[in-house]
Amino acid sequence: MAQGLWKWIEDRWPVTPVVRAVLVEDIPGAASTWYSTGSSVLFVFILQAVTGICELFFYVPTVDHAYVSLSFLRTSVPFGWLIHNLHYWGATAMVVLVLLHVTQNYVWGAYKNPRQLTWVLGVFLFLLTLAMMFTGSPLPWDEKGYWAVEVGTGIAGMTPLAGDFAKRLLQGGPTMGQLTLTRFFILHVAILSGALATFILIHLVAFRRGGSTGPWSETKRRRTGPFWPDQVWMDLVVACGVFVILVALSAFRPPAFTGAADPMDSLFTPKPEWPFLFLYQSLKLFSGPAEVAVALGLPLVLTVLLLAWPFIDRKPERNPARRPGAMGAYVLIFAAIVVLSILGGLSRPGAGPAQAPRAPASALAMKTAAQNGPAGVEGGEALYRRLGCSTCHSINGAGGKIGPDLASEKAKGRSADWLMAQIRDPHSHDPESEMPSFGQLAQAETEALAEYLLSLTGRGPAPAGPGKEPEAGPAPAEAAPSADGPEAGKTSRAIELIGNARHGSRIFADTCIPCHGPQGRGGVPNPGSNDGVVPALAPIDRELFDRDPDAFVGKIDPLIQHGSRPAGPDPSRVMPDFGDSGTLSQAQISHLEAYVLDLNGVARAKIVRPGIRPSVFFIIVAAVFGGFGVLMATFGAWRRRRRKSPGTGP
Amino acid sequence: MDAETQVPPEPEAPRAGNGDRGRRRFLELAVGLFTSLIGIAMAVPFLGSIVGSSYRARKELFARAGSLAGVPTGRPVDVAYEEMAADGFLRSQTVRHVWVIKRSATEATVFSPVCPHLGCRYDWDARDSLFKCPCHASVFRMDGTVVSGPAPRALDTLPAEIRGGVLYVEWRQFEVGVPEKKQV
Repeated sequence: MAQGLWKWIEDRWPVTPVVRAVLVEDIPGAASTWYSTGSSVLFVFILQAVTGICELFFYVPTVDHAYVSLSFLRTSVPFGWLIHNLHYWGATAMVVLVLLHVTQNYVWGAYKNPRQLTWVLGVFLFLLTLAMMFTGSPLPWDEKGYWAVEVGTGIAGMTPLAGDFAKRLLQGGPTMGQLTLTRFFILHVAILSGALATFILIHLVAFRRGGSTGPWSETKRRRTGPFWPDQVWMDLVVACGVFVILVALSAFRPPAFTGAADPMDSLFTPKPEWPFLFLYQSLKLFSGPAEVAVALGLPLVLTVLLLAWPFIDRKPERNPARRPGAMGAYVLIFAAIVVLSILGGLSRPGAGPAQAPRAPASALAMKTAAQNGPAGVEGGEALYRRLGCSTCHSINGAGGKIGPDLASEKAKGRSADWLMAQIRDPHSHDPESEMPSFGQLAQAETEALAEYLLSLTGRGPAPAGPGKEPEAGPAPAEAAPSADGPEAGKTSRAIELIGNARHGSRIFADTCIPCHGPQGRGGVPNPGSNDGVVPALAPIDRELFDRDPDAFVGKIDPLIQHGSRPAGPDPSRVMPDFGDSGTLSQAQISHLEAYVLDLNGVARAKIVRPGIRPSVFFIIVAAVFGGFGVLMATFGAWRRRRRKSPGTGP
Repeated sequence: MDAETQVPPEPEAPRAGNGDRGRRRFLELAVGLFTSLIGIAMAVPFLGSIVGSSYRARKELFARAGSLAGVPTGRPVDVAYEEMAADGFLRSQTVRHVWVIKRSATEATVFSPVCPHLGCRYDWDARDSLFKCPCHASVFRMDGTVVSGPAPRALDTLPAEIRGGVLYVEWRQFEVGVPEKKQV
């Protein structure tokens, strides 16, 4: 019955001949794991396709939901962590394996006649793989991906004449935003992936038509081995190895949650994805027109060289020992790219003296300030920074929005005496004032502060204020689409965003330490409040604590958004409304919340529904693959021995 | 050996020696086994994510309704609180109103604000010490039992607990117009 049905199908669709055409081939020099570089790329491509489709079930390509939807997948969908992390590490694996495959074919001389076109197609596949990585990186719309693309499209924008056009075309406008995300999304999931699949198919057909290249030695070539099942088995062993490594990386080295993309953020170090680091690093060696030449010339020259190589090196000799020129050139270029990439990876741009992260402004600094006591404008400016005035006040727009902008005190006609009275006792001018008293400052310090404030001029060149200066950041302040969306301030978006604790610690140092103390240990006096001190954040009030990160954030978020007034007759320090006043963006608040959770031993990005816990999943996979591997090896060895011992074997 | 490799692998036409054929079978078995293993390993997250996310996650059902410290004992108080509702990755805050009758520092009764007759919002009449529904004039005592009107059953209580002086309420909806309390 089954045979009859099979015959009926075969009469119409000849399955067996097709399968045979795919599998049956003699490999000169017999099967070898060296030839598995190509098949392992194919395996990772399939893995990327499967995990990519899985991600599409949950991912939403909009700037206000991309990060949230991906966070949901990674923390709240069973096996979501595995799907995303496999896709993330699979991208890296694919580039590495493609490079390995290119290298292997180069060393074996596989690009020589008659396989030039297969090689050229391979170069296009390599470029497509890089393009997939480039277009995939901004899709999470997190800090890392956002800034990677900001740098990447910047390079495209350097093209003479067509640069602005190319950049606009990629971004869908003059700056990055929703259209950028849509374009990269469509390129990634439809156009480039479709092209990649098609080209891989053609590459495989070409490979079958041309046959395996085999070893360069003629004597070795005389012996042949079958593709099926020998080579397929070796390919599968390599694929299993790659898979187990990828599961290990996914379980133990998950990509960091870098926080929602924040175009206003000047603390994040923008860097491209690692395959482009060499280009990024080489750009630093040049400036002016030379930079343009390198940015565009280097990748262009490398691509043209790769494409043209089979037509330049036309000698039939394949033995690498007799091709010192070709080998030397390859090693040299490869080494240069590796060195530049490592340098690029290690470099910390923007960490020069001008933008170095400031020493945490400590409340304790108040006491020590008197000893340093440099008077005058400079001393006042230093004090302004140390006391954390910028938490509430801004200077020409840079800084907090709770108190008034202080750039035009002189223009308002305020005297030094007026300012000093205000600093010592804010209630002297306005009994309702929320500003804490700084009566503990020495006379000289108060004078210096007043002198500094009077030296400021409105809308002049912004002094190196202690706050961040959005205008100086890489993204134009007005046009930049904010991750906060238009409804920022009304409802809290920060609770949905998984922030980055390390990033939060830097914002904390600039904003929260003056009151909550280093690491939120509290102890800063708050006269007029019932507690007498500002509450500690680590350990935090038991009422606010929760083991569940979402619940924990839900409790502390309103305090950061709307502020709070401690109980007591006349607290001199109140919690400002960082969210409502717009002092901090929702993305920044999410980082702060992640840091506060971290201080209390709760991971913001905790996997709530793992399916199977990452470490356990890895142990299962390793045990199953390892166990069956050992079983197969033992069985094979036993068979070989049994075959040899009676002396009947060939 | 060469002879073997030059012909298509026709299982019906074994040309090579027994050993080679056995080796070949063995390799084919190994390929089949490990292909299945990778297939299963990839199918687990795929199906797990899609099937798993189709079932609601275990979640904290009790929402924090607020501290009971300032709530007077022995009479109904309209307590409003915000509950976080999740729809996939979208979250929204819903304001819930419940009637809370505090018995002691550790005990309270919580009534759903929905009239069991047809779902109107009833109110507390402090003068008569009765709950009264404006829609069809159902009247309830403070313990929820029906005094008069068309209401088919007593007011619906909601699961609640007090932890550290804070009231937590689990929001539920019940079918209206039927004598038994049945969760929707």
